[in-house]
Parts: sequence; structure tokens; C-alpha cells
Amino acid sequence: MGPLVVNEIISPDTNLFLAFLIGIGFGFVLESSGFSSSRKLAGMFYGYDTTVLKVFFTAAITALLGMLFFSLFGWVDLSLIYINPTFLHSAIVGGVIMGAGFIMGGFCPGTAFCAISIGKLDALAFIGGLFIGIVAFTEGYPMFEELYKAEFMGTPTINEFLGLSRGLFSFGLIAAAFGMFWVGEWAEKKFPREEY
Amino acid sequence: MNIRLKLAAVFLPLGLIIAAVPENTTKAYKLTAEELLVEAQEGAQFMSTDEIADMLVQKDPSFQLIDVRAQNEFEKFHLPNAINIPISEILSEDWADVLDQDVKMNVFYSNGTLKANEAWMITRQLGFNNNYVLQGGLNYWIETILNPTAPASTSPDEEIAKYDFRKGAGMALGGASVSTTSATTSSSPMPAVKKKKKKKRAAGGC
Repeated sequence: MGPLVVNEIISPDTNLFLAFLIGIGFGFVLESSGFSSSRKLAGMFYGYDTTVLKVFFTAAITALLGMLFFSLFGWVDLSLIYINPTFLHSAIVGGVIMGAGFIMGGFCPGTAFCAISIGKLDALAFIGGLFIGIVAFTEGYPMFEELYKAEFMGTPTINEFLGLSRGLFSFGLIAAAFGMFWVGEWAEKKFPREEY
Repeated sequence: MNIRLKLAAVFLPLGLIIAAVPENTTKAYKLTAEELLVEAQEGAQFMSTDEIADMLVQKDPSFQLIDVRAQNEFEKFHLPNAINIPISEILSEDWADVLDQDVKMNVFYSNGTLKANEAWMITRQLGFNNNYVLQGGLNYWIETILNPTAPASTSPDEEIAKYDFRKGAGMALGGASVSTTSATTSSSPMPAVKKKKKKKRAAGGC
């Protein structure tokens, strides 16, 4: 009965060890799928390569279906799954900053570490910027605290907000994901690039 | 057939199934009758009077005594810092914050253990953690902490140490008459208080 660590089926140390193995697997797959190239991520925003959208949405709907079926079979207790709490204002501001960083840098934090492991210098610069950002935020925390904590909403979920059942919303999301994949592939044909 | 269509052929029907079936609302933590029987027989819910006395003397902030007797009984006598939640009000929304939390350890008591055990069973079945029962209830509290009987002088040292501790705790908690049977009230070894593990949500993030 999951979640494993909460129900003390595995110890927190075993949990960390599993996370380590999964992390290595994740990094390996990211690298081998070409995500350590910043052009691949930037392509998302120019439309010539929408692999990022397809990969991450496929991951999301796979995990979504998996969790819902696990819950249906009684293998996992969804009420014990951690949901990141929503602070609306900081989520919006953070999203904008992260998105801008994505376009300019061509990495997300995960792929940046992938890229640095194969010796990419642009990733080194990106991670440098990441650390500067962390230090600036931490040191300047009193300045940002008000914004950071504004509009605390607890842990709302979109389906509750819309008044839909979890299953129905999930189906909608899966349908929307395939719609986006279709748009993505259309964009790849519309804005092709020879070499990147 | 391209990969997108293949994926869609798998995911969309699964999504349809998930949309069609009702959500699984059975709470995994809800105990079956057998599980509850095992727990009740093990007596895992009991905290000894010595443990509670020790925590009270040390002003341990991590636990809360809860008197489940009626209000008039509570007003006549109650343990230090106890709050009153009569058993009839145990399901009231007002007390949900006290009973269902991960921070403090709640210890129910009544005159005996009957009502306190009832309160424990109800909250246990609701899936609340951190609720315990004072072993023997107030009667046993008075017997062991407020009026401990002196062991025979030939008793083993632990018995005498335990008696000294109880005597001291009883005095500190405003019960027993002060008598001078023993001068070593505070040097007695404290009974070990075992901290119970708390259940937290699994933390995670991107």
C-alpha cells in the first residue's frame, strides 16, 4: 500500500536510494533523447521541435493514469500524496521568470545538469546563473517575502475548481494533450529547420 | 500508423475508463475489525501513568491530556492542563483540529479506561494519528501517582525507585500529602518515555 515511505514499507534511506537510481535513469534518458542540447528546448518556443512538449506531457498523462488506476485498485492512498501548495502570485511571477530563462538559456534545471555532465559550456553558464539566482533570492528573501507568501490557496486542484470528477478531468487532459501533440507536429512541419 | 495514434489508442480508452469509474474513496487507513482487535489486544494505545506523570512534571509541550468525562465531572477534578472533550462531542467539528493533527500527542482519560478507549477506537477508526489512552484512567492515576503505596523494604531497588518517582511526581502535581518517607525523591530514574513515530505526507517536487 503506497505511498511506500509514508506507510513505512521502506525507510527514508531506501527511499533516497531509489530516488538515486531513478534519477540516474532519468538523466540517462534525458541525455540519450538529446535534451542536453539547448536547441532542442529552445525549439519548443520557435516551433521547429516540440519534443519537449510531447515528452513531458506523455510523462504527465502516463503518471496521471498510473496514479488513478493504482488508487482504483487500492494500491496507493492519494490523500497521502504531497501536493505542492499554491501561492498564486509567486507562482505567476516564478512561472514567467522560469519561462523566460527557458527561452534564453535553452535549458531547464534538469537538462542543464545533464548537459554539464557531458561538458557543455553553455550549461555551465546556465548553472552559474541558477546559483546566482538562488543566492539573490535567499539573501533578498525579506524583500520578496510579501510577494512570496501572497494569495495562499492551500492545495487546490483544477478539477475541484471546475467541479469535475478527477476521472473526467483526467480524460479531458489526455484529450487536450493529444490535441497539443497534433498542433506540435503541425508546427514542426510549418517551421522546419535543417540543422540544429 | 504513427506513434501519436498508437499512443492515443492506448491512452484515450484508459482515460475513458478512469472517467467512467467512480473514485476510490475507501480510506486505506481504515482498520478492519480484525486489525482493530489486534491493536486493542496489544494495548498499543496505552500510556502508563508513570510516563504521563513524567511528561507533566517536565512540562513536555508535545502532548495534550483530554478528559472525555462529562463537563461537571471535569470541573470537579481534572489533571493539570487537561482539556475537556466529553465523549458525546468527540465527532464535533469544533474538536477536529485537536484530534486530527500530527503535532501533539493526545492522551484520553476517563475514570476507568472504558470511555477513553471508546474515544480512542472512534478516532483510530477515523484514521487520526497520535491519540492514546491513559492506562487505568484516573482511578489508577490516583492509586499510583497521587497515593502510591510504599513497597516493602525488601523489594528490589527498581520498585523503590519507582515509588520514589511516583511520590515526587505526586507531590509536584499537587496530590499526595507530603510525608518524609524518603529523602531521595528526585534522584530516582525516570521511566523512559517512548516517542511514537508520526505519519507525514510524502514530500516531493520537481
